[in-house]
Amino acid sequence: MWLEGQRYFSCGALALAVMIGLMQADALARQTLTVAAFPAVDEIVKAAIPVWKRSHPEVDIKVVSRQFGDHHIAMTTALSTSFHLPDIMALEVGYVGRFAQGGGLEDLSRPPFGISQHVNHYVPYAVQQATSRKGTIIAVPTDVGPGTLLYRADLLARSGVSEAELTRSWDSYVAAGAKIKASTGAYLLAHARDMKDIVIRTGIQPGEGLYFDSRSQVLVTSPRFVRAFELARQIRQKRLDAKVLAWSNEWSEGFKRGSIATQMSGAWLSGHLSNWLAPSTRGLWRAAQLPENAFAAFGGTFFAIAKGAPAANKPLAWEFIRLMTLNREVQLNAFKSQDAFPALLETYNDPFFDQTIAFLGGQKARQVWREAARHINAVTVHKQDAFAEEVINTELDKVLDRGKDIRVALADAERLLKQRALR
Amino acid sequence: MSMKIQADRLAPWAAYLLVGVGALIMLAPFYFMFVFATHSRTEIFSLPPPLFFGDDFLTNLTILTERIPFWRNLGWSLYVALASTALTLLFCSLGGYAFALFEFRFKKLLFGLVMATLLLPSFMNMIPTFMIMDVLGWIDQPRALYIPGAASAFGIFLMRQFVAASIPRDLIEAARMDGCGEIGIYTRIVLPLLKPALGTLGLITFIASWNNFIGPLIVMRSPEMYTLPLALRSLQSPVNTEWGALMAGSAIATLPLIILFILSSRQLISGLTTGAVK
Amino acid sequence: MMIPTARRISPTWAPYLFISPFLILFAVFGVFPLAFSLYLAFQTWEPTSGLAAMQYVGVDNFAFALRDEWFWKSLKNTAWLAVASGLPQHLVAIPLAYFIHSSFTRLRNGVVGAYFMPYITSTVAIAILFSSLFSTDYGLINIGLQAMCQVPVLGWFMPQDPTDWLGQPENIKPAIAIIVFWRYVGFNVVLYLAALQTIPKDIYEAATMDGASRMQQFWHITLPSLKPMIFFGVTLSVIGGLQLFEEPFILTGGRGGSDQAGMTTAIYLYRMAFDFNDFGAASAMSWLLFIVVAILTWLTNRAFRPRGPSA
Repeated sequence: MWLEGQRYFSCGALALAVMIGLMQADALARQTLTVAAFPAVDEIVKAAIPVWKRSHPEVDIKVVSRQFGDHHIAMTTALSTSFHLPDIMALEVGYVGRFAQGGGLEDLSRPPFGISQHVNHYVPYAVQQATSRKGTIIAVPTDVGPGTLLYRADLLARSGVSEAELTRSWDSYVAAGAKIKASTGAYLLAHARDMKDIVIRTGIQPGEGLYFDSRSQVLVTSPRFVRAFELARQIRQKRLDAKVLAWSNEWSEGFKRGSIATQMSGAWLSGHLSNWLAPSTRGLWRAAQLPENAFAAFGGTFFAIAKGAPAANKPLAWEFIRLMTLNREVQLNAFKSQDAFPALLETYNDPFFDQTIAFLGGQKARQVWREAARHINAVTVHKQDAFAEEVINTELDKVLDRGKDIRVALADAERLLKQRALR
Repeated sequence: MSMKIQADRLAPWAAYLLVGVGALIMLAPFYFMFVFATHSRTEIFSLPPPLFFGDDFLTNLTILTERIPFWRNLGWSLYVALASTALTLLFCSLGGYAFALFEFRFKKLLFGLVMATLLLPSFMNMIPTFMIMDVLGWIDQPRALYIPGAASAFGIFLMRQFVAASIPRDLIEAARMDGCGEIGIYTRIVLPLLKPALGTLGLITFIASWNNFIGPLIVMRSPEMYTLPLALRSLQSPVNTEWGALMAGSAIATLPLIILFILSSRQLISGLTTGAVK
Repeated sequence: MMIPTARRISPTWAPYLFISPFLILFAVFGVFPLAFSLYLAFQTWEPTSGLAAMQYVGVDNFAFALRDEWFWKSLKNTAWLAVASGLPQHLVAIPLAYFIHSSFTRLRNGVVGAYFMPYITSTVAIAILFSSLFSTDYGLINIGLQAMCQVPVLGWFMPQDPTDWLGQPENIKPAIAIIVFWRYVGFNVVLYLAALQTIPKDIYEAATMDGASRMQQFWHITLPSLKPMIFFGVTLSVIGGLQLFEEPFILTGGRGGSDQAGMTTAIYLYRMAFDFNDFGAASAMSWLLFIVVAILTWLTNRAFRPRGPSA
């Protein structure tokens, strides 16, 4: 271009001037919304940008992605100082309850937002999870993790165990596990802790939290904890758990080799099993409701707007959140591409739910997950829940590994939690 | 007597063998990092893990460059690490020299202050550091990564120990008598004698900057400004991580460090320094 | 080549000029965070509500920290790990550096490079490999042990069941200590090698002429000359060991392991702040840890101080 001589120069200069002019005009009209997220929510947001552009060609979406923990630390830091807040932040369900305790997020039921008119469109428990004790709604659910039991149909068949035996009650689950171990050598589940996590979530009285009630009374010596610990101890004593933690390479290898017969998890796990954890086990898995009709959620993602975020962008941010969570196409795309189970109820009548899943042996498993999603109840959160979970896991380890008495273990946990309950 | 002679002959060979086997154990994970970089995440998460190179490197690299602006992140990492190393070498050699060979008021107190900055866990400083960076307008600016740590306590302490061990006070006194200025003494006598120490500190500073992720986590708010550790971490989620791409990125990220090590090892271990101290 | 007299700096002012970069940077970037975390140690704070949400609680956080069983447990873990991973690093690195320095010529850089590599190996790779080695059912170590069980006689001494390396609290700490040792021993070798360069060659030559053996030379020439660097290395190990975070964090999946056997104080502080949302207590604990580290650093300093003409 440089060599083509003078005569192009004026022409080029003119074009350049026009371009600069256009770019400036463009920059004036253009707006950018910043969305802070973590994998794979970042991918879901990026995938939704074309849909957004159809209605808002002048508003760009900038996705700032961080590692899961890094993201929530960065959001904590930004909220604590109100500096450099994104227009929209993605939050994992565990942080929604925690952030709801503080006052840093907008109450989306108030104008200009008005989530109240939409709440009936979302899976009810997810809305409950985003509702604080004061009745404010600080986040909008985008995907949920209805929990079911994935099991290896081939291992069950070889040991003559039916699905009903596996899921009738927790006791029959353990008994079925013993049969499976005896005839196939496979472990019933990855870790006894996984079962404890579900059992302590069953039979929670209304108004009670998982570990604390609404007056911060510690609940860990209640029957559901005793039963969870007793069942977990049975599992360990009968050597029915592989003692591996989720997302380790031992865990993934256990699935590949068929040495783990069942796994309680969110609906999304079958997608990961199929994509990379154990693609070779295609067709061997099935999904069923959790034993004893327990319904529990594994994860879930929300969008929120910080009070300190740029005020001028808030109406647009709210529109973007509505697109992400209320648009059938966006919600179904996220489900299809990232196994993000929709929070939007209107998607549940889509034919996609009635399709068979080859990885699950042709089962229409999405119907099972849909059923689970409708039955889950949200549990009231408490500031010390994360600590309580750690304490309970520690005491369970002591019971399983060192034979500590269950009542003593739970009493020890109660004592530690009482010290913290009101901090 | 003959037993002893035999033992004397055998001992060095045993020592060589031990050092050699030790070196292999040290290298093994490094080797596996490159092996993993050439496998899919399904294979990486198999047990036993793949022992030899696979053919998924290009696939991994494609995923990597699609998900994050990898080469740009690498560029920023290089820029920040080089700037940080240059500044650290200058500031720390000055400071270490002052603490080792000068007597001045408040010397002990000031050195105590230097050491005290080493003692607090860095993530407790995240929120206040974020506030400072905002006030300075340094959010999303690379200088926020290389300036604050440039007079590191670690570097000053290392330099002080080196100067104390290798530069005699008399030498400095003699230079002063000869009419050499303070800056001249530093540039023409102290710096040349500190070469091995500068090599060491340069290497360590570069690596520390290269691996630093808390700093960028605090100040970087745009993915295209991320340095490598933060960018590579952003591929990780609790449930769905592209391990192959992550390993490919990690393996590529160590290449500059290896080159740096080869370059600086000449400074570091190039045989005995000759005669300068006499 | 002489600098003009007018621009000369007097020896009285030179040291202040030389340490001024540190002082300026410390004033800008160091003072406020220290003051902030000290202030925070006396507050209760829900960070997501913003700075205004701080409430003064006096010494409550310190009182809580001192009564907190998990804080004490984390201090014990940290002390154990600092000693078990720190001490061997120096006991191995010093002789190793001396050996490499004196006995390797052409291969020297390669050998040093091999020992230095763990320091730059990605922690993600380390974590994956580590669990591959120590896996209960499929790990290489247990497969090896099982194979040895087949050998007569030797088999009697071997565990019959596969050992659960990472699930059992008593195994976690040694495993972490081994990894920390592996990761930093080469770093120390490099430090000591650099220091060995500064020992003039003629001292060794004179000693050899006097008939001193290599062992004697090591004890009487090398070790005393290395003393400032040993002080540096040990101080770093004390400080680094007491703030140990990354390795146990990765190897225990960020939770500290079964029965928190691998939970160091730094991990506990981090979790107090970011997982358990108690920044006030975390700040108080970080200052308590600060005091412990400061005392130990001072003691290290005392231990290395010249003790009159005999030392």
